[in-house]
Amino acid sequence: MAQRRRSALLFAVPVLALSLFLVGCPKRPATTAASAPPPTGSPTPSAAAPSTTPSPSMTPSPAAPSTAATTPPAPSEFRATDNLKDVFFDFDKYDIRPTDAKTLDTNAAWLKSNDNLVLVEGHCDERGTNEYNLALGERRAKAAMNYLVAQGVQASRITIISYGKERPTCTEHSESCWAQNRRAHFLVKAR
Amino acid sequence: MMRPGRPLLCLVASVVVLVLAGVLASPPPVRSQSDIFVNVLATGAKKLNIVIPNFAVVAGSDTGGLGRSLPQVTARDLTFSALFSVVSDVPPIPTADPAAVRATFANFASAGAHAGLQGLISLRGDRIEVEMRLYDLTSPEFRLIATKKIELPANQPRRLSHKIADEVVMQFTGEAGIADTKIAYVNTGGGAKELSLMDYDGAGPTHVTSNKSINLSPMWSPDTRSLAFTSYMRGYPYLYRMFPFENRPVQVVAGFLGINSSPAFSPDGRFLAMTLSRDGNPEVYVLNLATGAFRRLTSYSGIDTEPTWSPTGREIAFVSERAGGAHVFVMDAEGANVRRLTQAGFNTQPRWSPKGDTIVFTSRQGNFDLWAVSPDGSNLRRLTAGPGNNEGASWAPNGRHLVFQSSRSGGYQLFTMLADGSEQQAIPRTPGESTSAAWSPRLP
Repeated sequence: MAQRRRSALLFAVPVLALSLFLVGCPKRPATTAASAPPPTGSPTPSAAAPSTTPSPSMTPSPAAPSTAATTPPAPSEFRATDNLKDVFFDFDKYDIRPTDAKTLDTNAAWLKSNDNLVLVEGHCDERGTNEYNLALGERRAKAAMNYLVAQGVQASRITIISYGKERPTCTEHSESCWAQNRRAHFLVKAR
Repeated sequence: MMRPGRPLLCLVASVVVLVLAGVLASPPPVRSQSDIFVNVLATGAKKLNIVIPNFAVVAGSDTGGLGRSLPQVTARDLTFSALFSVVSDVPPIPTADPAAVRATFANFASAGAHAGLQGLISLRGDRIEVEMRLYDLTSPEFRLIATKKIELPANQPRRLSHKIADEVVMQFTGEAGIADTKIAYVNTGGGAKELSLMDYDGAGPTHVTSNKSINLSPMWSPDTRSLAFTSYMRGYPYLYRMFPFENRPVQVVAGFLGINSSPAFSPDGRFLAMTLSRDGNPEVYVLNLATGAFRRLTSYSGIDTEPTWSPTGREIAFVSERAGGAHVFVMDAEGANVRRLTQAGFNTQPRWSPKGDTIVFTSRQGNFDLWAVSPDGSNLRRLTAGPGNNEGASWAPNGRHLVFQSSRSGGYQLFTMLADGSEQQAIPRTPGESTSAAWSPRLP
């Protein structure tokens, strides 16, 4: 874009107002913008560019941290069991309600007599952001885990995962449905 | 010499004088790039009338009808900008005869056009070049404001149109338009939640992940080359970085126990803010991308998440429940000097304007709607008021437009609006639900 001079404006403003009525619009020198920039090198985003899916292979970036030495088993290796019941939470809360404490007592008792690894999933209802609900689900899973540990289940047996609002059990847009989704869910894996 | 008719001259004069009255009543002008058009546009009260005749093909054979399609895309871009009132799809301006050119311009001017855009297309093999010429139709001699040649591969005609529109906006406002941008988002059209890209106007929607997992929270790097995002592709929610325009593998950015989420690149691209729960609960961290060093910024026993950088890189807004509920706070980039920004409601998803003067966020007061506030906590205002939920705003690089998700028509789809909440319009829908939009910086 051609350089515009501030002084031109300061001059033009009072003159222009007058000149419009007298002689029409003021003249300014025609300006010529710079020619098109040279084509950018790779990468060149384009409408067609993202048509191919990136390679599914992954390599750590130079900045990638090493995951903790105690890498947990994949979530897909855990299985649901009828012996462990879900507990539920109020909206935007992660404290264990009294009735749910009884459920967790029962879960803890079963876990103490069955030496499995445990995955505690934290879930939220559909309202609110993905990111905040990820954090909220994490807090719910952690709250349930802490309760189990307080009841004598070894912390080293327990892994938590937050699914935020991403894996609802009920998909209607109602409070009764949301209440079912605000939950901690338990799965086990044999050692 | 052709001159505008007296009625038009009076119209233009009255508009200009009104604008100048506003300029003269305000503090002395200090804008270095001001001209009369900037002043017209800056008032927000008057759109500039621009005529965009079909482009003339001066070299090669226009088998694809570019002479008509290129200016139509440009016309839609300029209409979207909300700065222009556009007339298009009229016969091309004659290229050879100066008298005919003047007569054509005189007709446009007498019809109320303030500016005219001429395009000359040259088709050379697999390249398209357009020479654009922008004229001031309010000047007696139909002054040439600017001319520019733009060339791109023939398979990117829409991008060529967008670049022309962005140059027109540049000429009249001093800042390029935002038509040559993309929007990243999450789409459920394939069953899973996959990352997708499309042009800012919804053209060319394409999935850029296909891992059949849950992919969340895409966020652009400032150079527009990469997207950071959270994915469950390996089972647990790790943070990744992908390069959608390059043949490069996806990188793991953070793979700690717990959540690795809510990425936000610093404006200089050197740091990536994020939420990690590796220390026991969700806290905001900053990763130095060159060294791999993580620095923890928050220390509260509950939730801290959703960081967003100020354009200076000196402050970070984020969400915390430290005051009860969810509220937006601001801290400096080292984590000190925390101050609370919102008082009422349940407030998440802060996004700092690239101009620095506004933070938009989602507030739940009944339904979810978009609000805005100044970084000092003043000027709180509501941008949307239903219908449905309106959430997850992301700024265009000019700080004038926002993209967001709304459930107003059923499942979530993406919409755009101006920063004051006006001009709400749907982006053409794609199958499935679309959420978590991230407007790219201007493409390189």
